[in-house]
Amino acid sequence: MSAAATSVLSRRGFLRSETLVPIILILVVGILVIAPLVKIVLSTLTVEGLDAWQAVLASKMSENLWWRPLWNTILLGIGVAAGCILMGGFLAWLVVLTDVPAPKTLGLLATLPFMIPSFAAALAWGALFRNSRLGGSVGFFEANGYIVPDWLAWGLLPTLIVLIAHYYSLAFTVISAALSSVGADLVEAAQVAGAKRSRIFFGIILPVVTPALIAAASLTFAGAVSNFAAPALLGLPVRMQTLSTRLFGMIETGQTERGFVIALLLIIVSASFLWLGERLVAGRKSYVTVTGKGGRTKRFPLGKWRWPLFTVAVLMCALTTFLPAVILTASSFALQNGSLFSNWTTHFWIGEGGTDMAQGQAGIFRNPVLIEALWMTLKLAVTVAFTTMALGLALAHTIARNKGSVLATVLGQVSFTPILIPSIAFAAAYIALFGAPIGPLPSLYGTFLLLVLAASAHLLPYAVQSGRSVLGQISADIEESARLTGAGFFRRMGAIIMPLAIRGLLAGALLVFVKIVRDLSLVVLLFTSTSPVLSMLAYRYAAEGFMQFANAITMVILVLCVVATLLAHRLQNRVQKWKSA
Amino acid sequence: MNTQNGTSVPAIAIRGVTKRFGGFTAVDNVDISVPQGSFLVLVGPSGCGKSTLLRMLAGLETPSEGEFVFMGRTVSDGTRGLVADAGARDAGLVFQSYALWPHMTVAGNIEWPLKVAKWSKADRAARVDEVLGLLGISALKERYPAEISGGQQQRVAIARTIGPKPSILLFDEPLSNLDAKLRIEMRSELMRIHRATGATSVYVTHDQVEAMTMASHVAVLNNGRVEQFGAPLDLLENPRTTFVATFLGTPPANLIEVTRSGDGLVYEGLRLADARRAEAQEGLQLLYPAHGLAVGDVPGRPAITARFEEAAPIAGRTMVTAFSGGKRLTAMADGYFRAASGDTIRLSFLSEPSAVFAMTGERID
Repeated sequence: MSAAATSVLSRRGFLRSETLVPIILILVVGILVIAPLVKIVLSTLTVEGLDAWQAVLASKMSENLWWRPLWNTILLGIGVAAGCILMGGFLAWLVVLTDVPAPKTLGLLATLPFMIPSFAAALAWGALFRNSRLGGSVGFFEANGYIVPDWLAWGLLPTLIVLIAHYYSLAFTVISAALSSVGADLVEAAQVAGAKRSRIFFGIILPVVTPALIAAASLTFAGAVSNFAAPALLGLPVRMQTLSTRLFGMIETGQTERGFVIALLLIIVSASFLWLGERLVAGRKSYVTVTGKGGRTKRFPLGKWRWPLFTVAVLMCALTTFLPAVILTASSFALQNGSLFSNWTTHFWIGEGGTDMAQGQAGIFRNPVLIEALWMTLKLAVTVAFTTMALGLALAHTIARNKGSVLATVLGQVSFTPILIPSIAFAAAYIALFGAPIGPLPSLYGTFLLLVLAASAHLLPYAVQSGRSVLGQISADIEESARLTGAGFFRRMGAIIMPLAIRGLLAGALLVFVKIVRDLSLVVLLFTSTSPVLSMLAYRYAAEGFMQFANAITMVILVLCVVATLLAHRLQNRVQKWKSA
Repeated sequence: MNTQNGTSVPAIAIRGVTKRFGGFTAVDNVDISVPQGSFLVLVGPSGCGKSTLLRMLAGLETPSEGEFVFMGRTVSDGTRGLVADAGARDAGLVFQSYALWPHMTVAGNIEWPLKVAKWSKADRAARVDEVLGLLGISALKERYPAEISGGQQQRVAIARTIGPKPSILLFDEPLSNLDAKLRIEMRSELMRIHRATGATSVYVTHDQVEAMTMASHVAVLNNGRVEQFGAPLDLLENPRTTFVATFLGTPPANLIEVTRSGDGLVYEGLRLADARRAEAQEGLQLLYPAHGLAVGDVPGRPAITARFEEAAPIAGRTMVTAFSGGKRLTAMADGYFRAASGDTIRLSFLSEPSAVFAMTGERID
């Protein structure tokens, strides 16, 4: 073989772009996901760490530090999962399988609660039900002469209701997707066999969507146990602790090792329930592919129940989305907490400081701290949206094109790990790793960079998932035909993949934006006065009793979230010009 | 290399190529080479490894063993794990799905590969117009792929592939998504393009009619191995295995299982051929082309009874399918033949069997 003959060959070796890109990605996800987790485990294995394990699990304090918060956490998790399955499942059934009026609008309404922060509902609850137990101003009902009992104003029950109102739309999304995959022919085959309606529901539909019900239950459970805002606002004032509020309290008061121990325990609780759900579903996934082709779904007539059930559904959506928004808006204009709809003032929005109102504080749009937090929040959300979507696309692409290889399997598993980790525990792990200088690198605590890193890592599973669904619409042939022209990796990305994926990616980026803007549990530990964000300011104001300010800021967050969500919805549904035919 | 004629290097030489996916061998020790300008068709049932072989030719997969040599240049070497970048192989591939870039116009699709190959702007414009004209789709220049029909998309895919003037053209079942009429039209169109470009073409199909009409060389693949390689008529007249004999040819040829009895080869008590045509084996298979079987008794020729199944008129004659001893037989009748399904009919063997095979499938005589 001549020298010229070999010159066109390139070695399938270490430094080809095909292996180089995955190796870089493994390093990136290793630093983002694995390193903090390893570090937090190591931090609890020092002398102080082992003391903390003992204090939390086997001492006189463990009743308060671990057992009671655990009990509350699990109670909340199970209650929320059950409530969400009932509510989300009912709405999904109504929207997908019946002839209820305006199913599309109902479907959109049912997804909205998940797009607004969970502390919006918690604050709205306070504005209505807050009683005089803690002193300070009371809520709407007590101000109007009703006596609100403690169990309705504070603690487990309100937290449970607020969390269900937030997470049921997650259950709705999962269950309605599964119900839409129950093809009409499947139902018609049962009808032809002579089965009655209830028989079809319990014999055909329910078994087919059982995996989705289990998935919805474990996702909402995990969401509830890692939620910080609702138990902090409604439970902490009466000393109801969950694992996430305990974790926050420990780190806030400088008991870092104990905080780390609780973070690890919280991860174990959340991950084991997710794992359990996964195990229960594992053998049954094949059902979905069997019914895969049914494009059409069978809608059952509701008869005389059509309008009553529609009304119930609209009420559910209104109570969980519009009512909180109305209450928060009214409260942000109300002079006194209790009288929501009289004596309105714009002071809390644009009032000048130094007056005798609100202890001399200016309205939020005249408050430099708030303006700074607004910019910081937007900057953070936009940065994270872009970094995660770029990373998610690169990861999804590499995983899909190297399918079956060890590299792809490792990448896939590592990038989905954060899904098992409650965000507040994840934040604790980031403090463990970056809270102190590493070698020559300075401590990142309190920096914008740390927020970006932690948020990107936390949203990685979501980003990879949306990267996957975007790429799923682009066949491998399309890219291979570009490869055959001799175009390199980056050229193919730039000229072929990106133009086709851009809308899907932008929609995904907008949803990441929403997740960051409304997040509290991740930033609550990483936040410092040098990196203020809106959700944290709202929480601070609420904790200090300035409900109007808290509610006004929450409304700003809510509007940002809803606008971004609707924009994403439009982007996803808008036809691209080359598809116009 | 049996087809290498000594004076010129083969345009494509596939040498001892094997491709394994885990424990599964998709392509097994394939040795084929063809001279420049030939039209090589890889034909076989689905899963026979023909598409994998094509993807290796394109450089999209690396062979596990063996090498590919284009015009004397090694472009893939499985043993050393080397592969020339897909773009550096001077080969173009037309995908089964066409794989047109949906966000580029027809002209954009054709121009982009030229841009990647660093052609000048003026050269690109001239070449785009030239190939559009060659394929007769100049009017579609500014349309998007979603706005044109399947047959037009097919033409754009071909235009895009021949744009950079590759010396090797690869086709992955390009006609399988077209309707029957368009398929015949595009078949001649492809032959015209092949002649006009002077490129060496490799064409993958499961349709033996396409193989027979288009190929200068045919390789029949089965289970990853080349069953037989040669000119189309050679394969039709001298099949080396029962697989090739029954896979090629329209209508399909018949295989009759016979046993040795005295000096004759006998089917259901009827002597069909002289036993001297076979060696000392007890069971054998005789090959009769469809036109070697006639419907009705013919004086002086052996005939059997069969159960009529269906009849299809073809060019003034009728192709008759019938069952005998659980086996499907195809015979030809003059004029239009009709019978009810299940009727008993007579089939006569007009000639000696054209080939004799062992029960294991290889040719004996």
